[in-house]
Amino acid sequence: MGKWAGWPSPDMSGRTLWGVSLPIAAPPSAFWPPFWRGFRALMPLWLGMVPFAVAYAVTARAAGLGVLETQLMSVTVFAGASQFAAAGLFASGANALGIVATTALLNARHVLYGLSLSRTLPLTRPQRVLAAQFLTDEAYGVAVVRGPQEAGGLSFAFLLGAELSLYFIWNLSTLVGALAGAVLPDPAALGVAVVFPLAFLGLLVPLLKSRVTVLVALASGLGAWGLSRFLPGGLVILLAGIGGALLGALLSSRNQPQEAQA
Amino acid sequence: MSVLLVIFLMWAVTYPVRWLGLSLGRLHLPPFWLSFLQFVPVSVFAALVVPEVLGSPEWPRRLVACMVGGLLMWRTGSLAPGILGGFAAYWVVRGVGF
Repeated sequence: MGKWAGWPSPDMSGRTLWGVSLPIAAPPSAFWPPFWRGFRALMPLWLGMVPFAVAYAVTARAAGLGVLETQLMSVTVFAGASQFAAAGLFASGANALGIVATTALLNARHVLYGLSLSRTLPLTRPQRVLAAQFLTDEAYGVAVVRGPQEAGGLSFAFLLGAELSLYFIWNLSTLVGALAGAVLPDPAALGVAVVFPLAFLGLLVPLLKSRVTVLVALASGLGAWGLSRFLPGGLVILLAGIGGALLGALLSSRNQPQEAQA
Repeated sequence: MSVLLVIFLMWAVTYPVRWLGLSLGRLHLPPFWLSFLQFVPVSVFAALVVPEVLGSPEWPRRLVACMVGGLLMWRTGSLAPGILGGFAAYWVVRGVGF
């Protein structure tokens, strides 16, 4: 952050520099403040994240993966639920294609997050390539709820800050778990799993502004509860998420036909 | 199949779906589907919360935690006090022996 902070602002205030148009525009100093706000906005979730990344790493090591392999999965795949599932499947000696198929199923919901974000946040191609690698439930949630409260709305910098906040802590905790897991306490004993529903509840509450949104939340939540008895978590989110949003669109198109025609 | 290949394939089925959604921003959508996308956050967050609370073996503790945490987040409008307060409530209930 500091390197650019001391630049004289008059030269940097425009969208051109020495007559050259800068497509990603804004001066460098305009990137970091929203980046760090995004980074910090996700930090309350670290409390829940650390023990889970450690638990993933311990499970993966117990399943016979090396430290490097355990870490590589956090660096590349970077998706908590499917990493857990894969570690468990490796341990049970499952078929490799089964592991990959489970991962695809669990992570299909990310297409919804991207679609939802891209409506309010136009991204350049390099920005999309970068933002896609670090997209998670949590970063999506924080970006879509907290981002609009930013001056000028949700920005790429804010999204990337939230995304990398999680990436940083997930990978650091994976490393700690992979190296020292056996001597660390079990997350179930710490009770930290409750942090995840708490965090998403905190993101949900400010969105419940109308009768339709409350109905959608109830239908999707209870539907997910029912589905979760016989389907894996990621698929449940995808199906209940689509079902609830369809209900919302149906209800609002039925309630406002006059406005739609006007 | 080697572990490294499996990890690579896991990445290969995860990254593209993340990229795909982000890349469809300029797609022109009819009003119904725009409305659909507006309801995605509410719907997804509810689907992430309810099974984690009611479907958990320790659901009474989590329910109390979410009631306390939800109230705090509603009153303060901020995430951190709700998470910490809810977590504290969870431990109070667990400490009393429920």
